Amino acid sequence: MLGAMRATFLLLIAVATLASCERPGGCTGAYCGTLVFVSPGEPDILLPPVSQQVSTRDIGDQIFLKLADIGPSTNTIGDEDFQPQLAERWEWDGPTTLVFHVDPRARWHDGQPVTAADVAFTFDAYNDPAVASPFRNALRRVASVTARDSATAVVRFRERYPEMFFDAVYHMRILPAHLLRGVPRDQWKTAAFGRQPVGDGPYRFVSWHAGQSLELQADSTFFLGRPAIRRLIWRFTPNVPVAVTQLVAGEGDALEYLGTPDNVSRVRAAQQMTLYPYRGSSYGYLGFNLTVNGDTTQPHPIFGDRQVRRALTMAVDRARLLTSVFGDLAKVPPGPMSQLWWIWDPEIRQLPFDTVQAARVLASHGWRDSDHDGIRDRAGQRLSFHVLVPSTSGVRKQYARLLQEQFRTVGVQMEIDEVEPSVFQERAGAGRFDAALFGWTTDPSPSSGLVQLWSRSGFGGSNFLRYDNATYDQLVERATGGVLTREQARTTWRRAIETINDDAPAIFLFAPDGVAAIHSRVADVNVRPDSWWALVRTWRIPPDRLIDRDRVER
Amino acid sequence: MAAWLVRRVAASIAIVLAVVTLTFVLVHLAPGTPFLPPPETPADPAVTARLRAQFHLDEPIPVQYIAYLGQLARGNLGLSFALRRPVADALAEAVPNTLLLAGAALLLDFLLGLALGVYQALRVHRLPDIILGNATLFIYSFPTFWLGLILVLVFGEWLRWFPVAGVGDPVLCPAADSLRCVIDRLWHLTLPALTLGLVGAAGTARFQRAAMLEVAGQDYIRTARAKGARERRVVLRHQLRNALLSFITRFGLAFPFLLTGAVLIETIFAWPGMGRLATDAILRRDYPVVTAAALLASTLVVLGNLLADVLLAVADPRLRVPAHA
Repeated sequence: MLGAMRATFLLLIAVATLASCERPGGCTGAYCGTLVFVSPGEPDILLPPVSQQVSTRDIGDQIFLKLADIGPSTNTIGDEDFQPQLAERWEWDGPTTLVFHVDPRARWHDGQPVTAADVAFTFDAYNDPAVASPFRNALRRVASVTARDSATAVVRFRERYPEMFFDAVYHMRILPAHLLRGVPRDQWKTAAFGRQPVGDGPYRFVSWHAGQSLELQADSTFFLGRPAIRRLIWRFTPNVPVAVTQLVAGEGDALEYLGTPDNVSRVRAAQQMTLYPYRGSSYGYLGFNLTVNGDTTQPHPIFGDRQVRRALTMAVDRARLLTSVFGDLAKVPPGPMSQLWWIWDPEIRQLPFDTVQAARVLASHGWRDSDHDGIRDRAGQRLSFHVLVPSTSGVRKQYARLLQEQFRTVGVQMEIDEVEPSVFQERAGAGRFDAALFGWTTDPSPSSGLVQLWSRSGFGGSNFLRYDNATYDQLVERATGGVLTREQARTTWRRAIETINDDAPAIFLFAPDGVAAIHSRVADVNVRPDSWWALVRTWRIPPDRLIDRDRVER
Repeated sequence: MAAWLVRRVAASIAIVLAVVTLTFVLVHLAPGTPFLPPPETPADPAVTARLRAQFHLDEPIPVQYIAYLGQLARGNLGLSFALRRPVADALAEAVPNTLLLAGAALLLDFLLGLALGVYQALRVHRLPDIILGNATLFIYSFPTFWLGLILVLVFGEWLRWFPVAGVGDPVLCPAADSLRCVIDRLWHLTLPALTLGLVGAAGTARFQRAAMLEVAGQDYIRTARAKGARERRVVLRHQLRNALLSFITRFGLAFPFLLTGAVLIETIFAWPGMGRLATDAILRRDYPVVTAAALLASTLVVLGNLLADVLLAVADPRLRVPAHA
């Protein structure tokens, strides 16, 4: 019996020894290297117009090119901070016409040249309702894209505005018309191309084992320069903690976002990893439904009152909450914004933390603790509300408990309803909530987020709180339209955000810093805050730092 | 026997159909909505409406159900909303992973558990029995996920003897297409299978020890010894065979686990099996995958029970149904 157990154990050790002996191949020099990204998400499909997944974007960045890409400043106004990609150059032909010249060296991975017809085809696809692209709305101000000749694409806008260039280049990855023209548009969401894509970027698709891994290989003939790292492999994991375990155990090389202080500490202790901080692209807040729970036509009995909302905002010590949850890995946002936005400015006017003033305002509006049960009431109604929290977000669940405690000290009762994300989204969309802890990830442009979430045009869409202020809407219209310099736009945005802060439809709680972890053997690392791996083609692994997996030939 | 088998199979089909129907209706009526954008991304109602129409979710549930049954009759499980591909393809990738993990775990569970249980019963109240009894109780008390985390920490992070996640090394062996890669799969299988198998084996050992001791006091065992049968024959032929009846029932109940998987262990070890597929589908309201998973699981439960009944009949002639029944 014990002999059998000993034999089994020895067999396991033998298997482990045999399997752990990697077979180093012959690759040496500057163009070796295998990077293993551990990814808590897996693409649904690698066809950029039909997927909003972050992992689709990360992998798509390597396979498909944009006409031009945003620069390190992430400035979205004008075109001076953008860098050429598929287009070798561009010029303005009048105030609303932009002409792109496609780089004649660009080739699809099947050898076909990339042409202006591909650019026109791509816009048509993104704009086709049958494709149901989530990016279609972002292109609403582009009137048309046509091919003047095989190398010249002409973009015409419906109007002149500060982010015309951003809209023209940022949302669309150019697609191969010769491979996709025959696929019916209403079948793109499940197209076979999306599981075996052919692109024009620095890396070509090799294989995808669903639920496990996906591999890309460097295109040694890439027209913007041969990528130094030969193989990119994504290992898919169910969540960030498991991904961190893989990094610490040496089974992965890179993870874009570590999230919590615990994860950062674990990775910091792993000697082979280096941390790279960057400006985070998300923010979170406690949003108040300004209309009755389930009836968007009536003002909410508590949150319909602007002064009460302001008092609740002043009752919350946001800095203390932030330290409790994130340590020093986040900032208190000065309004509805992520650190990624170029309009980020801690000097924007906000309501102060002042519990005395908060209590005074509540009392002056009739909310007093008349029955001495610790909770304020008015005309028989308690100052009590429910907050919706997605059960999958550890950060927001922590915040809910801490907020509950802070509100209790000023006589406000907050009940926590933890629900699945799909239920959260459904109830938020239908207005069936009192308050909710929201978190949003943004692209580099303040325009789309601030319009969708806070203006009247977002009613029925993502303005779940039904915040409605004509002054704010006018300021947003001015900031997103007309001809403004960057400084004029910044001032206008600032006024718009201060308008929101004054109205207090939400308490803006956190804007996390981004922290990526990348193996120390990788040199020239540059993590772009809006799209972490967009510049991987410029990274390299010096020959003297290669490890076994860098040399492996398959 | 044949008539009994036909009746059982017909009842089994009815049960599976009932489960599928119930799952289909409940998952459609449950709160929550499919076609969500990724977390923390605003949804575009126009896109959601378009996708709902393209997947026929804007039609009444009875219409959708009839269409689904029509598809099912043709062997088509539909298209996954979230994975953007045929459900059958997703199952074809997840099922082998789960079979491998659960198969290895069950093998370890039953072989080790059976051996330990018999060994303990033959040395009842002696030192090996006491030590093993306490050890199995100790392991059996572990929450499985906790044991998994400990094994990851010790053998994965600290000692680096075994990989901490995944079914294979994506650098060397993205597919099991060579002997070396098959060994790599076994290497990756070690920790998750040990996690599931050890806890199961501890339970089986305690179960089997009790069954062996219960049988040991029976008259026929005493008779066998009185007739002068050798101890080995008494144990294997009379004691173990009779003590196996409850073991077979337990095996039948464990059979569905082969395909439904172990969600927590699949999550801890990033093992892409049925458990994770079904859980993700439920969270994302991916109706076709949820219904297909229920179809598979119910089929396995029914088959497991059927198999257990047949095995019991083989092991114990008294349970065989008379020809005229």
